[in-house]
Amino acid sequence: MTLHKHWKGIALFLLPVGVMYVTFFIYPLGYVFVVSLTDFRGFGSMEFVGLANFRRIFEMTNFQFGLRNNLIWALSLGFGQVALAAVVAMILARKPPFWRFLRTAYFLPNVISQVAIAMLWYTIYRENFGLLNTALRAIGLDHLALNWLGNLSTALPAVILQQLLYIGYFMIILLAGVMSIPRSLYESAEIDGANVFQQEVFITIPMVKSIAVVAMTLAMAFGIRHFEATFLLTGGGPANRTMTLGILLHRNLHAANYGRASAISAVLIIVGALIIGLTRHLLTTRSAIEDVKQ
Amino acid sequence: MSGHVTAMNPRERALLAGRRTPQAVLAKAAKWSVLALFLIVTLFPLLWLLLQTFKTNAEFVMNPLALPSGFYYQNYLDAVRISGLPRLLMNSVIVSSASTAINMLICSMGAFVFAREKFKGQQLIVTIILAGVLVPIIALMLPYYRIIRGLGLFDSLAGLTLVYVAINIPISTFLLQGFMKSIPFEMEEAGVIDGCNFWQRYWLIVLPLSKLGIVTAGTFVFLFSWNEFVYALLLTASFTTRTLQLGIRDFQGQFFTNYTGMYAAITLSIIPSVIVYVFFHERIISGLTSGALKT
Repeated sequence: MTLHKHWKGIALFLLPVGVMYVTFFIYPLGYVFVVSLTDFRGFGSMEFVGLANFRRIFEMTNFQFGLRNNLIWALSLGFGQVALAAVVAMILARKPPFWRFLRTAYFLPNVISQVAIAMLWYTIYRENFGLLNTALRAIGLDHLALNWLGNLSTALPAVILQQLLYIGYFMIILLAGVMSIPRSLYESAEIDGANVFQQEVFITIPMVKSIAVVAMTLAMAFGIRHFEATFLLTGGGPANRTMTLGILLHRNLHAANYGRASAISAVLIIVGALIIGLTRHLLTTRSAIEDVKQ
Repeated sequence: MSGHVTAMNPRERALLAGRRTPQAVLAKAAKWSVLALFLIVTLFPLLWLLLQTFKTNAEFVMNPLALPSGFYYQNYLDAVRISGLPRLLMNSVIVSSASTAINMLICSMGAFVFAREKFKGQQLIVTIILAGVLVPIIALMLPYYRIIRGLGLFDSLAGLTLVYVAINIPISTFLLQGFMKSIPFEMEEAGVIDGCNFWQRYWLIVLPLSKLGIVTAGTFVFLFSWNEFVYALLLTASFTTRTLQLGIRDFQGQFFTNYTGMYAAITLSIIPSVIVYVFFHERIISGLTSGALKT
């Protein structure tokens, strides 16, 4: 109705957000892919080098570890963290006593900066005066106390765990989904003799699938873009065992290896898109088949 | 009476007795174990940190698990003196407030157009903007660095603010346009009849009705900007532009072996986020909830 009358207003209102979005999303994405094909070092001329940067980084040990660890991060958060969050969401959706308090409490760490959380976990994991080792020694398990962040086999699990256990963000998202399921479905299942466990498996899980896929997508995106805790706790060590592409990108940027840094960015973006796209594809296809069966 | 009870099958009897079958008891124990475990994981480290700040450093080194013997507030005085906390706090307040205000202004204008007008290509533009949520922002370190340097804004709070405004465009647009869509059109039509122009429809009618949506989206932007680390690290260099999160990273070097002093500084750095959460947790939860249900 008012289609043409307001075109000036519409254009004017979209201008600021449009300029910002093009400058900080579209142009940078293009920039990264173009520069990844050059030997740019920040000044002077740019020479086109084809896929040389990509060939080079895939040969680098720290990149191989980084890529592997980013995948581990994405899968741990996408499946592990979301699964834990789903269990808690299913419990809270039945509104046990104090459920509102619990919901608020579980989310609290998510508003605290990752930097502060990482510092907190440093005080837990550190070898001397660390909370974990002190507690282990106090109960006589001295032999289990070790340098959690410096050990080759425990460093990565330790860093992932300090983020994975804070389920609040995904718990809230999933709780919203579970609570939107009509109560009548559970009531009729109860009358049919289904116990709580069966109700969760056969009603809740299929009904929240689409929201769970959203949560998993976000969790994987968080895993791909992980930076802070690793940067502060281990810096990618020991011996690259906790290396991530973000840390490597930051290093190459500081060394003014702009071509190589951009190639790492490009891999980060492509791998992120692939893993998210693949998960969504696999999970939604299966649910479509189930829908047909029903 | 007893005859009546025995006439029921075991399941009905269990229901009547408050479901005290062995399985039900087990399920209940499992349920509360899970809830308690996550409560401990969530709160215990924070409480432990808080308790250490009341100890002297010697007390802490002797036994990190013991309760404080008194209230040793000197740690907090040390924390403020050694870390330069007031400056860090001020920089963070400036950047976070400015980012939130500017982001809310430009995104509410965009969201108003997306939610209340129809035009060609609208759906495509909205989809492109919302897809920004999934872009791994850290992959854009190099272009952001080059853009901010190119604008002459390197090592300035303005440069950092500009980046935070931009990064939050997708999430704010998503929350605000969703909220604005839920406002009845009748309100706006009445305004149009009274002679409101395009700007007045936005400023006098839709924006005041979107207060709750603005608070929700604004809380997300503020907390993001307050807690952001990567771009603060990349785009600033001097102490005068250092934000709180960068400051925390330096605590280790500043406090050296004064552990309890450092813990006090970390505690002080966490307090503002907790205060925001205490006041706005309803908004945060509703923002995440509406986000989940709309997708």
